[in-house]
Amino acid sequence: MKVDAAARTILSGLKEAGINLIASLPDINLAELLRLIEQDRDVIHVPLCREEEGIGICAGAYLVGKKCAVVMQNGGFFNSNNAIVSTLLQYQIPLLLMIYYAGDIGDRTFSTSGGMTEPVLNAMGIRFYTLRELAQAKEVIQRAQVLAEDSKRPVALLLTKEVLGRRPAAGAI
Amino acid sequence: MRRFDCLKALSGEAKDALVVSSAGATTLEWNALRPGDGNFRVRTLGLCSSIALGMALGLPQRKVIALDGDGSLLMNLCSLPTIARMNPTNLIHIVFDNQVYEASGCGETATAHGADLVAMARAAGIQHTLWAHSVESFAEAVSRALAERQLTFIGAKVETGRIEVSPYPMDEIENKYRFIRYIEKTEKIEILKTNLPTSYL
Repeated sequence: MKVDAAARTILSGLKEAGINLIASLPDINLAELLRLIEQDRDVIHVPLCREEEGIGICAGAYLVGKKCAVVMQNGGFFNSNNAIVSTLLQYQIPLLLMIYYAGDIGDRTFSTSGGMTEPVLNAMGIRFYTLRELAQAKEVIQRAQVLAEDSKRPVALLLTKEVLGRRPAAGAI
Repeated sequence: MRRFDCLKALSGEAKDALVVSSAGATTLEWNALRPGDGNFRVRTLGLCSSIALGMALGLPQRKVIALDGDGSLLMNLCSLPTIARMNPTNLIHIVFDNQVYEASGCGETATAHGADLVAMARAAGIQHTLWAHSVESFAEAVSRALAERQLTFIGAKVETGRIEVSPYPMDEIENKYRFIRYIEKTEKIEILKTNLPTSYL
């Protein structure tokens, strides 16, 4: 699967789910997706310095009518935990968390972060789905957004290399 | 300078601006001065500036005022370059700097030891920044910021101590619903839709 086709599919899935504000912090595996988000005129893109501020930005935008997502690595999800608990969960605010799954099965790095990702999501009571098939991505994104709105809670999609596409081999990252 | 006197001056100018206030006494004092559903209380220390930025980006035609504190902003300093980068012209970021974590036992913050939040905001890329050294200059800065469409950061050194006011009259979830319903009414938009069961979709 080509990286650019994957990024196009995921962005169009987000837009079809009604997402119109995306806060993000880069990971090399998200680079093409973030490049497309930055170019898209229908989506407000907020590049972050730290992911926790993105939770606040999206909460504020939700309160005035925006549908938001945060695109980040699982390390960024860990950075965001206090805001997720004491803002999103405390106020019952929905938010789509698009989390790159560093340290996923088969990765040479970040196995500690990878191993902690699902237990922390479970501990926080955040429902999550691991995306491995690009063919399913659009539908799962839309259903996740419906679940977030209906449950008034964050919902996470774990983005794997299978779904984002593998970059051409250029040294292990 | 007392924070309450600054807030009183602000309440005369704020009109229908949305006001996001940091955890602590600022929220209670502001709510006593301008009660209403256009106020949102923040519970996560640090997130005040970011929540206000999200509102300002989501409703660019509406004024948004963040009532931040030194302890709060120090925890989320990276919101400053993000605010500068997005440059929402409808956002006014006010920081009441009493140099202590007052709600948490009055330990000194870094601003008691030389950290200058206005200089940091300027260095982060926010063009219009100032320290207000009196209630009059605070009121004038707020008035100018509300009249002009430019992102403004106002710092105010204030005494510790709080005015005796009522507790916040609602929990977080009621605050959320009342705020959203207020936005729906005043902006004539629909935010909360009734969710249909999937079998109806």
